[in-house]
Amino acid sequence: MIAVSRPARPRLSSTAITSIVFHTGVCGLGFLMLYPLLWVAASSFKPPDQIFTDVTSLVPTTFTLDNYAQGWAGFGGISFTIFFRNSLIYAGFGTVLTVCASALTAYGFARLRFAGQRVWFTLMIMTLMLPVQVQVIPEYILFAKLGWLNTFWPLLLPRIGGQAFFIFMIMQFIRGIPRELDDAAAIDGCGEFGTFFRIIVPLITPALVTAAIFSFYFTWGDFLHPLIYLNDPKLYTISVALRTFADPSTVTNWGAIFAMSTLALVPVFAVFIFFQRYLVEGISTAGLHGR
Amino acid sequence: MAGVAPDSVSRQMGLGASARPAAATAARPRAWQRNLTGYLFIAPWLFGFLSFTALPMIGSAFLAFTDYNVLSPTLRWVGLDNFQRMFFNDSRYWRAVSATFSFALAAVPLKLAFALALAMLFNNSRRLVYGYRAAYYAPSIVGASVAVAVVWREMFGRSGLINNALAAVGVTGHAWLGDPSTALWTVILLSVWEFGSPMLIFLAGLRQIPSQFYEAAAIDGAGRWVRFLRITVPLLTPLIFFNLVLQMIFGFTVFTSAFIISGGTGAPLDSLLLYSLYLYQKGFKDSQMGYAAAMAWVLLAVIACFTALIFRSSSRWVYYESESEGER
Amino acid sequence: MRRKSGPAWLSVLTLSCVSLAACGQPAGPAPAAKATSPPEAAAKPTAAPAQPAAQAPATPAAKASAAGQPPVELRFAWWGSQDRHDRTIKAIQLFQQKNPGITISYEFAGFQDYFTKMTTQATGGNLPDLMQQDYATLSNWVGNSQLLALDSFVSDNTINLSSVAKNSIDGGRIGGKLYAVNLGNNSQTVVLDVAAFDKAGVPLPAPNWTWADFEKTVLDIHTKLGTYGAGPTLSDQQLWKSLYLGYGKWGFSQDGKALGYTDDQPLVDYFKLLLRLQEAGAIPSVQDEIAQWRTASVEARPIVAAKSAMDYMWSNQLVAVWTAAGADRKLRLQPLPRPVGGQSENYFKPSQFISITAGSKHPKEAAMFVDFITNDVDANKILLGERGVPIAPAVLEAIKPLSTPAQVEVLDYLSRLEKDNSPLPPPDPAAQPKLIDNIYLPQLVDPVLFGRISPEAAVTSFRKDATALLQSQ
Repeated sequence: MIAVSRPARPRLSSTAITSIVFHTGVCGLGFLMLYPLLWVAASSFKPPDQIFTDVTSLVPTTFTLDNYAQGWAGFGGISFTIFFRNSLIYAGFGTVLTVCASALTAYGFARLRFAGQRVWFTLMIMTLMLPVQVQVIPEYILFAKLGWLNTFWPLLLPRIGGQAFFIFMIMQFIRGIPRELDDAAAIDGCGEFGTFFRIIVPLITPALVTAAIFSFYFTWGDFLHPLIYLNDPKLYTISVALRTFADPSTVTNWGAIFAMSTLALVPVFAVFIFFQRYLVEGISTAGLHGR
Repeated sequence: MAGVAPDSVSRQMGLGASARPAAATAARPRAWQRNLTGYLFIAPWLFGFLSFTALPMIGSAFLAFTDYNVLSPTLRWVGLDNFQRMFFNDSRYWRAVSATFSFALAAVPLKLAFALALAMLFNNSRRLVYGYRAAYYAPSIVGASVAVAVVWREMFGRSGLINNALAAVGVTGHAWLGDPSTALWTVILLSVWEFGSPMLIFLAGLRQIPSQFYEAAAIDGAGRWVRFLRITVPLLTPLIFFNLVLQMIFGFTVFTSAFIISGGTGAPLDSLLLYSLYLYQKGFKDSQMGYAAAMAWVLLAVIACFTALIFRSSSRWVYYESESEGER
Repeated sequence: MRRKSGPAWLSVLTLSCVSLAACGQPAGPAPAAKATSPPEAAAKPTAAPAQPAAQAPATPAAKASAAGQPPVELRFAWWGSQDRHDRTIKAIQLFQQKNPGITISYEFAGFQDYFTKMTTQATGGNLPDLMQQDYATLSNWVGNSQLLALDSFVSDNTINLSSVAKNSIDGGRIGGKLYAVNLGNNSQTVVLDVAAFDKAGVPLPAPNWTWADFEKTVLDIHTKLGTYGAGPTLSDQQLWKSLYLGYGKWGFSQDGKALGYTDDQPLVDYFKLLLRLQEAGAIPSVQDEIAQWRTASVEARPIVAAKSAMDYMWSNQLVAVWTAAGADRKLRLQPLPRPVGGQSENYFKPSQFISITAGSKHPKEAAMFVDFITNDVDANKILLGERGVPIAPAVLEAIKPLSTPAQVEVLDYLSRLEKDNSPLPPPDPAAQPKLIDNIYLPQLVDPVLFGRISPEAAVTSFRKDATALLQSQ
């Protein structure tokens, strides 16, 4: 077919074939990627005596919403409305703080030269390397001394400093931007802050968006810190609440776990979908590049 | 290869790779002003680091030389005992080391390759790509959920999806998670499955490459492959570098996937006993926080060496649009 | 300006951190409740195990003066699942109604996370007043002076244990002192799927069956039905210890500083039995066990999906299994097999405890809650034995009519066991978790069942390693 139609409209048919191959391949692999998630979602609609007796099917034979009702009810009157609210507070404020602070710091490290820079940078990278499990206890003692237990402060305040992961990531994006742009801004009379806000920030939108997506998801999923610092169940986040459903030795309401796990993905996914636009729009700013 | 290509591209674009100093030197600020501006910018991080991160780090370093057991109000300085025991007297420690190296060596390159390939694939404006991107990113947001542990166990179980699929093509099933020779691979697979973050970073980087570069190259008659090697790869090196460093660090400190799959035990036959998992067992289950802290600092030293190597090598292969001679 | 504040912060915090690391804790001001300062507690930072003993007599007197006036705030922490959280919170509300001067705030977590949370709280001197405890962790917490001895509250009847059998109390006793009150009894069991036995035409085993009977039954069912005869985790450490109960001994010696038996042969024979069954495919292989069951929740057990006719577990887990399997199934609890001519391998184990922490500022009120959860009939009508079979006979009688078929089978099983069981063995030594995680599973069970080492050789080296560890604690 390709050979025959070649003289007539070769481009179209070969694109069509590429397109079919592309979509089939991507869909096939995509199904495998999504299978575990579909399994969780499917199980959330199965009655409790079918989840483990009818394990492989993705379509529940009996369809029920009970799991959602039972799950949402939470524990002793503290429902998932509260857990969702807490997670939104933590992930929302946490993300804003992290991204802003990280961007500022990243600019400092990537573009400016100052005494002690290397030392601080090295220390910053080092903070990524020490397993969190051994930092937890000294950190807890510190916050206990400050009297901040059972509040969101130990979770949010450290975010004032951004996070090394994002600082380093944004740095790499900034270093990919040609310096002539800064210089042009300097000639126009911008100080470093002007350059940062007027030139760099618009250019690194894709990086900031990526950082926001990750930061939201990391914070949403962060389990260890909320577990340790929040005592009152009315302050529990979703990540903690989900794990308090399960007890290996007594009745575990798996249907409710799967139902709430499914719902817990919704905000994270929504953030991704919402910000994805900006990832693509980033391209339009590239026009600046050629000048 | 990468070192040459971008220069020629930049020249083609009439940018001039080393145009940097011209304007900057003209209005050179005084040293104290430069320092002040620099510190003002990194002030948020510096504040956070000094008040909230530095002390716990120092604290854990101190604990590495003690027999701190968490519950007891007393602790004793034991010098290098923890390190000595770790290196010479703990066979499980070495099993953890070897499992961790196997994991990092396999998972990091696989994950990066997968992430880059899919980022390339999704870096276009075909219809449905939005949806695909979301679908492929979705696994990365489930993280450490309890549900994932159950799914993984059921999928790789005796009568799970994997074995059913194999049975369909006539291959006998296998207890993937229970066999010491395959269990680690399921954890590697879990980690590769959650490849969304490096993919997104690559995508964002690809989006930052000005389309004029490609247009100019196309005019010069460069084919797809040449454009990939000469434009995409060099301009993406800062992010390849970033992802490599970060994924390597994550690879060595990985905890959650092994924890949820082995239920915190490291079974079968310690094949899932990754370093951080063993460290957690020691610190919290066996009440040997001092020993755990010592393990953590050894790990830090090892990772730091690898990171330093990558940083060293980066001047040879990482190309920064903003820095002609690729500092650091 | 900001730059300057950094080092200032640093020096202040370094000081506090160092002073704290040097003397550990345990009684820094509990930051949540700033109302009262802890004068006596702060004065004796490093007094080791003598502390709880010294505090216990002092507190009731101190209480008498404070009783009545300001509302007392207590904190209670437990692990569990949704059902337990719901019931416990309701019971707490009932307690507050009945005792207007006391409010109890609560916190809960899943079992895997509970002790991580509690351990961390202990380092900050921020433990709750009341905490749920496990049999396996009790020694360690008592050994590190984190818990308060309850004997004075028992003798002045704040905690009324007069009607409770001695066997049900003694599990919480360490070094002669009572540190924890049993929240419910439990015993190991083999769950039988009656329908599978009928289908296979295999008779249900007698209550005093032996391990040889067990092997035969498992193989019979496997040949007739093709399913597993019995489920996984037969190499669980609880069975190892109980195996020796059949010979009138126990896994550990009385003081916990050595193994409690000298003859390794029964353990070797037991592993050989497991190897034979595994070889025959009559029980899940060790690969499958690790892959799917060892750390999974009971709902995933093969008996739930009718893939096995028998399954080893704890009696209170029947409720979860029956719920997941469906109400139309017929399940029955059977005691553990025993050696030929040996004693019962069953004993009544406290499923979990409630204890008062050493730093509690209101131990008297906390003890009132311990009594409430143990003896109050209304409270237990809410709790319904979810933590295990209640230890107070009056409570047990009261909740029986309210129970589901699964709960009734559990209650009946324990009353059947009354006639024939072994006395309560001592609590696990503090090194127990270390022993299981570092030696028992990775060096003994798994290598043997994977066929990497002979049972004889593994058991011999287990004795050597375990003895070394137990002696060193």
